[in-house]
Amino acid sequence: MPFQPALVASHLTRRFDTRVAVDDVSLELAPGEIFALLGPNGAGKTTTLRMLAGLIRPSSGTVHVEGRIGFLTEAPGLWDRLTVERNLMVYARLHGLDDPARAVDEALDLFDIGSRKRDRAAQLSKGLKQRVALARTLLHRPDIVLLDEPTSGLDPESARDVRELILRLRSERRAVLISTHNLDEVQRVADRVAVLRARLIALDTPAALRARLFGSRVRVRLARAAAPFADVLKPALTDVQVEDRTLSIAVSDVETAAPGIVRALVQAGADVVSVVADEAPLEEVYLRLLGPASRSARSGQDPSTRFARSGQDQEKP
Amino acid sequence: MNRIAALLGKELADLRSNPAVFVPAIITGAISIVMPFVIAVAVPYFSGERLADSSDFRIALEIYRDQPATRSLDPEGAIQAMIFQQFLILLVLTPVAGAMSVAAYAVVGEKQARTLEPLLSTPITTFELLAAKVLGALVPGIVLVTVCFALYVGGVTLFAHPGVYRTLFYPRALLTIFLLGPLASLAALQMAVCVSSRVNDARSAQQIGALIILPISVLLIAEFTNNLQLTSRLVLLISSGLAALNIALMAVGIRLFDRESILTRWK
Repeated sequence: MPFQPALVASHLTRRFDTRVAVDDVSLELAPGEIFALLGPNGAGKTTTLRMLAGLIRPSSGTVHVEGRIGFLTEAPGLWDRLTVERNLMVYARLHGLDDPARAVDEALDLFDIGSRKRDRAAQLSKGLKQRVALARTLLHRPDIVLLDEPTSGLDPESARDVRELILRLRSERRAVLISTHNLDEVQRVADRVAVLRARLIALDTPAALRARLFGSRVRVRLARAAAPFADVLKPALTDVQVEDRTLSIAVSDVETAAPGIVRALVQAGADVVSVVADEAPLEEVYLRLLGPASRSARSGQDPSTRFARSGQDQEKP
Repeated sequence: MNRIAALLGKELADLRSNPAVFVPAIITGAISIVMPFVIAVAVPYFSGERLADSSDFRIALEIYRDQPATRSLDPEGAIQAMIFQQFLILLVLTPVAGAMSVAAYAVVGEKQARTLEPLLSTPITTFELLAAKVLGALVPGIVLVTVCFALYVGGVTLFAHPGVYRTLFYPRALLTIFLLGPLASLAALQMAVCVSSRVNDARSAQQIGALIILPISVLLIAEFTNNLQLTSRLVLLISSGLAALNIALMAVGIRLFDRESILTRWK
């Protein structure tokens, strides 16, 4: 089903003198979608976010936005000598909110930082500063939220809080775009992933990227040695690997293939202990995309560039 | 206007939490106040020699005795009035000195603290941002000069010859303090903010903004050497020039403030 995009970026390019920081990037963001922008340092992630937020102009290309944008910058950027409440109040007024005091109180409650509102920002831990910055980003209830490395440098507990917030934003039908290096975070929350190195190297759902690069496999653990049962699955499934009591089977789609595999093994007398989708970690996907083959993709010769085009044609997951 | 008020409130709150930044202004103000009292009151008192008997002041006395403000004063009072009037120009420098460090830090400071990018992602315009920054430095300076002027008048009333204090309420004095002074400060601050938008170092902005002290110092010296008499008309004329300069500086400031360059090239 086609979606009405909250944000459409078309052929964004940004040059700084002779250096091309962002090269012909196109993407769409749907309401209620979490979209992750991955890429190594200097890949153009922050520049892309700044163009989407309207902070800098693209050298060419366009950005179309439906609604208000909230932008969490890479650094919390709080005024250290001011209190938490005052920091937020200034922004509430800059956004022209009708009832700034109420908006600030709501934001403080939402992020559970009301008890620290009279503290100066300088007194806060990094995690708390990030929460205040997030509260500031959402003060004016933006429809599109751009987050530049939102969990960078946070302890695991604070990072989890931020992830929960991101998921909450999705449930509120806001479009969220995260720029991050944290692949675990992306794996947990992102609906779609774009890998950027000046150009878009790939854009798709994490599962689709995995399947394209590594294929899909099912791992079946048995109570006894697995070798005698490998032939049960052939010739329907040709790629069956045996490791002690585990079978690893290449399939076209895990969800449709797994029940039949289990049925066949049980009928052959196997005791099935567990069945799991054997997914390559996103890190593997990412590293393969950024490997030598994808580097040559920048010259337009690598087939992985096709991912970007096909991904953009996809409907919202 | 609401956004200017919002950011101005932040600037003033920031200053309240860091009053040390105004120490140079307080020192300048204190010197401006004390110096004329030393010359006009303390030195004659301790030396036992009246100002009116000094040959140094004879020509000045001839000039000032003809002024409407000093006509009713005795010779000693007239010279005191002249000295207190001339030092008013020094008082004008008080808000400039005080606000310069604040203004010079205005944009550079936000960038260095990494607070500029979130600020620019709000709907604030360049004019609003610069206006708030300039006013954030100017308002405390004007408050300070007003306090200094009140102390000055109080001191003159207590220690100078009777009637001298009245000369401080003549249009020339009031225009100098409350029109020429703020306009000169505004010009200095705008120069500092303009430079602050283009350099990575607050000290550079501070030095360039301080250039406004030069023409004011020229006025001061010209008055002291009796080469110039600051009449109300002349104060108004200079103020008009400063007002025009301020409008031009704001236009230049907006042109110089390159958001993209500040965000992407400054480190």
